[in-house]
Amino acid sequence: MKWISQDIDMYLKSKEYVDTAVLPLFPVSLRDDIKQTAAMSEFISLLSIQLERQFRGRLVMFPGYSYLKSFPEDKLISDIKLWEKELTEKGFKHVLYLTSDSSWKALESQFDGGLIWLPSLPLEHMDEQYKNTILDDQVKQLLQLFLQKWQSGE
Amino acid sequence: MSKNRVSRRQFLSYTLTGVGGFMAAGMLMPMVRFAVDPVLQAKAGGNYIPTPQKVADITEVPTRVDFTFEQQDAWYNSEETGTAWVYKDDKGEIVALSPVCKHLGCVVNWEGDKSNPDHFYCPCHGGLYTKDGTNVPGTPPIAPLDVYPYIEKDGYLHLGKAEPKKGA
Repeated sequence: MKWISQDIDMYLKSKEYVDTAVLPLFPVSLRDDIKQTAAMSEFISLLSIQLERQFRGRLVMFPGYSYLKSFPEDKLISDIKLWEKELTEKGFKHVLYLTSDSSWKALESQFDGGLIWLPSLPLEHMDEQYKNTILDDQVKQLLQLFLQKWQSGE
Repeated sequence: MSKNRVSRRQFLSYTLTGVGGFMAAGMLMPMVRFAVDPVLQAKAGGNYIPTPQKVADITEVPTRVDFTFEQQDAWYNSEETGTAWVYKDDKGEIVALSPVCKHLGCVVNWEGDKSNPDHFYCPCHGGLYTKDGTNVPGTPPIAPLDVYPYIEKDGYLHLGKAEPKKGA
């Protein structure tokens, strides 16, 4: 389910079936890595759309958490922990973060939710058709990961 | 001066008939066109979306067919993708099923679960559908998968808008 009022109505009606929260993490920088951070955010937002389409009945795709690359690590961790606390308190058994920014890899052990890190692909030169196939393949791989997560949690 | 010159009276009546005829036709044509419109409506090919799937290549095993179409939201055109599971049934007829689970809208996969071969499987809550799209009782979905109407055009499969399965 997307973060739109229509889908949230559906969520409120069938809460017992929805146990997974996905939070995309979008890096923003205006320094040398401005282009990379934009590409990462682009890739993750496109992927999150496809992912939501595949699993819309069991997950809520939250609007992303945007952060400056210049944020200190403790701020990132404390912010994520706040998200995590709120989400688990409100009944989400699985909390997952979706990102292309590899710096999260180092912080992964400090929070409970699962981190899905995918290297961003250079989508800017691809035509629409090819882009969709690539993203579909990525979602297919994530399918297994989600199934494992859900099976281990039951 | 020839003998059969047109008199003033004749000239006026010809002209009036001509102009009156045009005016009558101008009024009647849209009315007639309006009345017979349902007959003129294109039966097929109107809202059917072409897919890259060749009709000759469709087998008995459901295959995933992805297609893109332009969706117009007011003045904004966006490219949308759609998916269908396409196969030939026992009678050799083409069946195109919508992949959207009737429970909460996840995407179902053919043989997505190893313990349930020959079924469509929804990964979200374990919903099952048989090959013809009928939901298996005891699993969350409450209705069969939607069916796409289809036509064959130049050897390729064209799909319409998915509708609930008939007789369900």
